[in-house]
Amino acid sequence: MRAYQDMVFSTAARLAGNDTQAEDISQEVFIRAYEHFSDLRSSVTAGGWLKTVTTNLTLNYLSRYRKRWRLFSEMRSNTQDSEDDGAELDWEVPDTILADLSAEQRSVIVDTALRQLPEHQRLPLVLYHFEDLSYQEIADKLNVSLTKIKTDIRRARAALLPLLQNVGGARDTLDG
Amino acid sequence: MNKRNAEQKLEQVLHQALSGLPPRRAPSTLESRVANELAHRAQLPWWRASFAAWPVAARVMFILVSAVLGAATILGGVSAYLGDRSFDEAAALLLSWAQPFLTVVSSAGGLVALLVHVISPLWLYGVLGVGIFLYVTLFGLGAAAYRTLYLPSPAGDAS
Repeated sequence: MRAYQDMVFSTAARLAGNDTQAEDISQEVFIRAYEHFSDLRSSVTAGGWLKTVTTNLTLNYLSRYRKRWRLFSEMRSNTQDSEDDGAELDWEVPDTILADLSAEQRSVIVDTALRQLPEHQRLPLVLYHFEDLSYQEIADKLNVSLTKIKTDIRRARAALLPLLQNVGGARDTLDG
Repeated sequence: MNKRNAEQKLEQVLHQALSGLPPRRAPSTLESRVANELAHRAQLPWWRASFAAWPVAARVMFILVSAVLGAATILGGVSAYLGDRSFDEAAALLLSWAQPFLTVVSSAGGLVALLVHVISPLWLYGVLGVGIFLYVTLFGLGAAAYRTLYLPSPAGDAS
């Protein structure tokens, strides 16, 4: 368990954007792993199994709260799609981000920024950039259209960039 | 730099920044929480565990007993209702239950036909329009309430 607990917690926390929920989900993941211990003990794919179960459990956990608002959420997104299709990124994209910080410091800043994204943007962004899923796989997992996934990820990136660039406060916290 | 190039560059830069991050450290309490929960579940009697964890014999017995009870309930109810009537009598009895329903449907259909014949089409279209208007208004109010009351501040919708 010790070998995988950081990976499991990290996956759940970045998807859920909430440490308390992530701890509950991690607990359930390891209980399921214990139930399949005989299969996983000698398996070389135990890490992949744990990651898949963590991702699915987190999405199930979040979907309980998402289903009731999906209709309005998608309606709102479609409305904004038509409004924003012609929008340009109104700032220069830098060549690197947070390159002068240590990995540990970058991790804190990125996780703080991710928590500020709305769920419908954070989920596909994390699945794309952290879990290396394709757009189509994410659309299938979240049961939404491919177009909406691409739009949400594009918006999430555009929202994340200023959050990561504006790290003055975060650096003070880290230094403190 | 045009929009597409800027977005491609942003994707590459962000992927570079995000994909190399180390995992977050799990809380120190996680291991003890899992151990405590496993110990707690181990102390529960088997019949309080999930159905998948029941012994095979218990699961088979449960399914058989449930099937027998279900079949007995249905057959018992049907035979008690029909008694010793023949098939034709039973069918006639069931149809007699449906007769009032069919009468109501038939009467309602006649009433609608009469109204369509008597009332001016302009009035009918007007009522239909008012109904649609009220439906759309209610839907719009629901959407506005969702956007105003539920939706969190869209920090990521700055694009």
